[in-house]
Amino acid sequence: MSWLRRSARLKKEWRHDPEALMLKRHFRELSVAAALGILLLFLAVAAPAFYQAQPLLSLLTREAPTLVVACGMALVIISRQIDISVGSQFAVCSVCAGLLAALKWPPFLVLPASIAIGALMGAINGTLVAGLRLPSIVVTLATMVTWREGLRWLRQGEFVNLPDGVQWLGLSQANGQRALIITALVVLVLMALAMKHLSAGRFVHAVGSDAEAARLAGIRPQLVTFSTFVLIGAFTGFAAMMNIAQSPQVDPKSGTGLELKTIAAVVVGGVAISGGRGTLWGVFAGLLLLACISPALTHLHIEAYWEKAIQGAIILLAVVADGLRTRSEKR
Amino acid sequence: MTKSFGAVRALKGVSFDLRPGEVHALLGENGAGKSTLIKVVTGAHQPDGGTIEIGGCQVAHLTPASAHELGISCIYQQPALFPALTVAENIALRLEPATVGRRVNWPERRARAQKLLLRIGAAIDADTEVRRLSMPEQQLVEIACALGAGARIVIMDEPTASLTQKEQHLLFSVVRDLRASGVGVIYISHRLEEIFALADRVTVLRDGESVGTNKVDDMNEASLIKLMVGREVSQLYPPGDAAPREVVLSLKNLGCAASGVRNVTLNVRAGEIVGLAGLVGAGRTELARILFGLTPADEGELLLNGQRLTINSPPEAVAHGIAYVPEDRRRHGVILEMPIAANITLAIHQRLFPGAWLRLGAERQLALDYIRDLDIKAYGPEAPGGALSGGNQQKIALARWLATKPKLLILDEPTQGVDVGAKSEIHKIIRHLAKEGLAVLMISSDLPEVLGMSDRIAVMRGGTITALLPGGSLAHDVMAAALGQAEKGVAA
Amino acid sequence: MSTPHHKATGWKALLFRHETVLLLVLVMEWLYFNSVGRHFGSLDNTFDIVRHTVEIGLLALVMTPIILTGGIDLSVGSLLGLCAILFGKLWRDAGMSLMVAGLCTLGFGALAGGLNATLITWLRLPPLIVTLGTYSLFRGLAEAITHGADTFTNFPASFLFLGQERWLGIPAQAPVFIVVAIAVWLLVHRTTFGRSFRAIGFTPEGARYAGIPVERRISLVYVLAGIVAALAAIIYTARLGQAKADAGTGYELFAITAVVLGGTSIFGGIGSVHGTLLGVAAIAVLSNGLVHARQPREVAGMLTGGLLLLALSSSVLPKLLSGLRARKSAANVAPIAHQTTP
Repeated sequence: MSWLRRSARLKKEWRHDPEALMLKRHFRELSVAAALGILLLFLAVAAPAFYQAQPLLSLLTREAPTLVVACGMALVIISRQIDISVGSQFAVCSVCAGLLAALKWPPFLVLPASIAIGALMGAINGTLVAGLRLPSIVVTLATMVTWREGLRWLRQGEFVNLPDGVQWLGLSQANGQRALIITALVVLVLMALAMKHLSAGRFVHAVGSDAEAARLAGIRPQLVTFSTFVLIGAFTGFAAMMNIAQSPQVDPKSGTGLELKTIAAVVVGGVAISGGRGTLWGVFAGLLLLACISPALTHLHIEAYWEKAIQGAIILLAVVADGLRTRSEKR
Repeated sequence: MTKSFGAVRALKGVSFDLRPGEVHALLGENGAGKSTLIKVVTGAHQPDGGTIEIGGCQVAHLTPASAHELGISCIYQQPALFPALTVAENIALRLEPATVGRRVNWPERRARAQKLLLRIGAAIDADTEVRRLSMPEQQLVEIACALGAGARIVIMDEPTASLTQKEQHLLFSVVRDLRASGVGVIYISHRLEEIFALADRVTVLRDGESVGTNKVDDMNEASLIKLMVGREVSQLYPPGDAAPREVVLSLKNLGCAASGVRNVTLNVRAGEIVGLAGLVGAGRTELARILFGLTPADEGELLLNGQRLTINSPPEAVAHGIAYVPEDRRRHGVILEMPIAANITLAIHQRLFPGAWLRLGAERQLALDYIRDLDIKAYGPEAPGGALSGGNQQKIALARWLATKPKLLILDEPTQGVDVGAKSEIHKIIRHLAKEGLAVLMISSDLPEVLGMSDRIAVMRGGTITALLPGGSLAHDVMAAALGQAEKGVAA
Repeated sequence: MSTPHHKATGWKALLFRHETVLLLVLVMEWLYFNSVGRHFGSLDNTFDIVRHTVEIGLLALVMTPIILTGGIDLSVGSLLGLCAILFGKLWRDAGMSLMVAGLCTLGFGALAGGLNATLITWLRLPPLIVTLGTYSLFRGLAEAITHGADTFTNFPASFLFLGQERWLGIPAQAPVFIVVAIAVWLLVHRTTFGRSFRAIGFTPEGARYAGIPVERRISLVYVLAGIVAALAAIIYTARLGQAKADAGTGYELFAITAVVLGGTSIFGGIGSVHGTLLGVAAIAVLSNGLVHARQPREVAGMLTGGLLLLALSSSVLPKLLSGLRARKSAANVAPIAHQTTP
C-alpha cells in the first residue's frame, strides 16, 4: 500500500530525541528544583544552623498539611479552576475535628469525619462550579467568606482544647512529626502516580486542557470538575486532621492564608494557570522553596516581616518567567 | 448503512444514506443544516423524529459515547484536541475507553500514536505537545485518531480549509485509502473541485431539506451550484475596468523575522484589486498582519501614498488608512456579542466620536446606512453580530472597515465559509469599491476567486513574493508559482 | 449603554433588569431594618453607612471597568493598606506636608497599578495570578515597612475632617465619592473607552483586530484602580485617624462582590456602574442593618457571601432554564415550521 512507502521515507527524515523533549517538557520543574538546590546550598554555607535536625523537622511538619492541600490545589488548577476557599475549609474542618475529638471520638473516626466535612464543602463548590457553570474564582471567594464568618459566628473565636492522645497521635513528638511528614509524602507520591498513570488523572489534565474536546472524547468534564472540588475538600479535611495533631489546642483562625500559600506553591511549581499542564513534583519543589524562605530569613538575620512580600515577589517572578518563556517560544 | 431523520430544529425530514467504501459529499450553503446533520450523526444532538440505522440496526438513542463505539468518527474544521497534552495522549484519549480507574500504558500509547502518524505520512513526534503543532499538523493528528479508532464512518467537516496543497494531496490519498478499506466517508466542503476529485455521491442540503442525492459523475459545477442556491448564478465574478491609477501602497524588501516574511516587494494602485495567492503557510496572512501592525516589520520599506511609514500597532495602521478584514470572522472580524452598530463603529471611534464622547444617534444612522448599502439582513442595528449568518457577519466586518474610509483595504479570505449567494454579493461589493478608487489587496485560497477577481496576482511562497502575474492568468501558472518549480509534478 | 444586549424592550424588560431587582432588594432591606432597628432610619445612621462604605465603594467603582474587560484585581485591598502606610510614613517620617504626601501617595498608587498593568499587558499574564502575586507583595511590603506593628496617628484635625466631619451637611468624603462615581459612570457608559472595555471583555483578539489599542486600554483600568485605591487609603486614614498595615484587608472581596452583585458579568463585556453602586448600597445597608437588628457582625459577612452566590446563580439559572425549555419546545416548533415552508 501507498502508506508503506510513505512511512519508510518519513522514518528516515524524522529525528527523535527523547532526552531533549523530556528536558523541554519538564524545564519548569527542573528550574524550580535548581532554585531550591541553590537556596539550600547557600544556606549550607551562610547559615549551617538551618540544618539542625529538630528545627528542620518542625519546619517540615508545619508544611506537611500544606503539602496535602497543595496536592488538591494542583488538581484543581490543572483542571483549569481555582479554589480560594481552602483556608476557610481548613479552619472549619480543624474546629469540627477538634470538637469531635473533645467528645472523646477515637482518632480513626475523627479522621473520616473531618474528611467527609471537607468533601461536603468541596461538593458545594463543585455543584456551583460544575452544575451551574459559575466561575470558580467567584464561587470560592463567596464560600471562603461564608465558611470563615460562619465559623467565627458560631465559635466566637474560641479555641478548642484537645484531650490527651490527640497531639502527635499519641506518639512521642519526634515520632509524631516523622509520621506526619511521611503521611504527607505518601499522599504526594500516590497523587503524583495517579495523575500520571491512572486514566482518571489524565482526564483531569484533559478537561483542563480543553473541556469541549474532553466531552467529545467521552469524558464528562462537569463530573471531573465536580470531583476535583470534592477531592480538594477531602484533602483539606485530611490536612486539618494532620494540623490538629500538632498542638494541644485548635486555633479557629488556622488556615488563614492557606489558599495563597498553596496557590503560590502550585504556580511556582510550574503548573500552568491556563490548565492541563504541570506535575506534582514541581508543586513539591515549589512548596519547599517557599517554605524555606521564612527560616532562611531568620538565619540570615532579615526581619521575618518580609516573608509575605518575598512570597509575593516569588509568585510574580515565577509567572514572569513563564510569560517570558511563552513569548520567546512564540518568536 | 442507512441513516434517516425526521424533524430536527434545523432539519426537516432529511434522508441520507452512506454505503461502506464510498465518499459521500455533503454540500449546502451556510445554515443549510449540514452541521446539524453531523451533530445528529455524532450523537451531539438528538433528532426529534425519524430513525437512525447503522449497519442495518436501528439506533434508538445516539450519544457521543455510543456513536464512538459504533465506529463513527468526526474530524472537525477546528481540531478538537487537547493543546496541553502530547500527541500520543491526544490519540489515546480518543481510542481508549473513558473508564476512570484504568492504568495508563504510556509505551503502548506512544507506539500506537507513532504508528498511526507514520501511516498517514505525518512527520510528528508522538511526544510533542499539541499546542506546539501548526494547524494542519493538528488536523493530521485528528485524522490519525479517526484511523486508529477503526472507524466505519468518518466525517470530515471542511478538512482542507487550513491545509497546504501538499497536505491536501496527502489527505486525499488517506481518504482514498480509507475508502478502499471499506470505510464510509462523509465529506463536507465548500470547494467544489474537491468534491469532483474525491466524492462518489453528493447530497445537497438547502434550508434544512435535502434537495437531492446524485452520483458525482452525473453532475457538473453549474448544476451543483444551481441545486445549492436554487437559482442560476449567472455571473460569478463582476468584471473590472483596467484603468489603474496612482500607487497607494509600495513595499520594498519588506520583511519580519518573527513571522517568516522576507524581501517582499509589491505595489498596489488605487482602483486595483491585487490577488495574493499561495498555499497556506506561504506567508500571506503574515504579510497582512505586518501591514496592519500586528507583527511590525523589522526590515525593508513601506510607503503609503509615497510617504515612508513604520506601522507598529493596529491603531497606527488604522490612522494611516489601512484596513484589514481578517480571515477568522467569528474570532477576529466581528465581536459576536456586540450590536451591529457598535461593531461597525469600533474602528472609527476617534472620527465619529470626537473627545471620546459617544453619539448614539449618529452611530445608529451610520449603521442603518451600511445595513442598507450592503444589504445586511438583520432586524436592526441593535441586533448582536452573533445572531447573523456567516455572509452577513462578513458584510459587517467589511462595513467596519469601509467606515474608516481607508486608502488600502486588505481582505483575508473574504468569502471563506460564506454561502454562494452571499459570496457573489461580496464580490460585487469589492469590485464596486475598487472602481471607486480603493486599493484592494485580496488574500484568497479559492483559486477561481483569485483568478476571477484580481487585476493582478501576486503569488507568495516561503514568505516572499515569487511571481507577479496579470489578471486572467491560467490557474496552472498560479499554482505552479505557488508550488515552486520543483514540486510542479505534485500540483498536477 | 447597558441595554444593547437586551433584545426585549418595554416594561417587562425593565422589570426583569438586574438593576431593578437589586433596587427592590435594597428597598426591602431598608424597610425591614427600619422596622426592626430603632435608629436605623435616622439621618445620623445613614451618614454612618456612607462613611463606612466610601472606601469599599471607591474600590468597587474602579473594579467595574476591570471586570468589564474580563480581568480582575485582587490587589486593591492590599494596595490600600500599603498606600495608607506610605502616606503615614511620608507625612510623619519624611516630613512632607499632608498635601504633598497625599499627592505622592496617589502617584504611588498609579505606579502600583502600572505594575499590575505592565505584567498583564506586556507579558500577557492572567490578571488573576498577577494580582494574586501583588496582593501578597503589597501587603507584605506594608508589613515590612511597619515591622507589623507600627501605626501612624496624631493626624491634624484639618485632615481628619475629610473622614469624620460633615461638609455642607453631608459626610465630607461623600462629595469625593460622588465625583469619582460620576467620572467612572461617564467613562464606562458615555465614552469610547467604555466601548473598548466591553469589546476587550467580549474578545480581546477581536478588539485588537478592530484597531483598538488593547494594551493601553487594559493598562488604563488597572492604573485607575491603583490611583483610586490610593485615594481610598487617604480617606480610610482620615476616617480612622490612623494608618496601619492591615488597612483594607478583605476589601477586594467586598468590591468584587458589589460589582458582581450589581450585574456585571465576571466573564467581561456586560455590566454597569449604576449596578455596582446598587450592589455597594445593598451590601452596606445589610451589614449596618444587621447590627441594628442586634445580629452579630459575622452574619453580615456570611450573608454577603451568600448574596454573591445568589446573584451569580440568578444570572445563570434563566439561561439554564431557557436551555431546557428550548429543548422541549423544539419538538413543537419544528412541524409548524415544516408547514410554512412547503
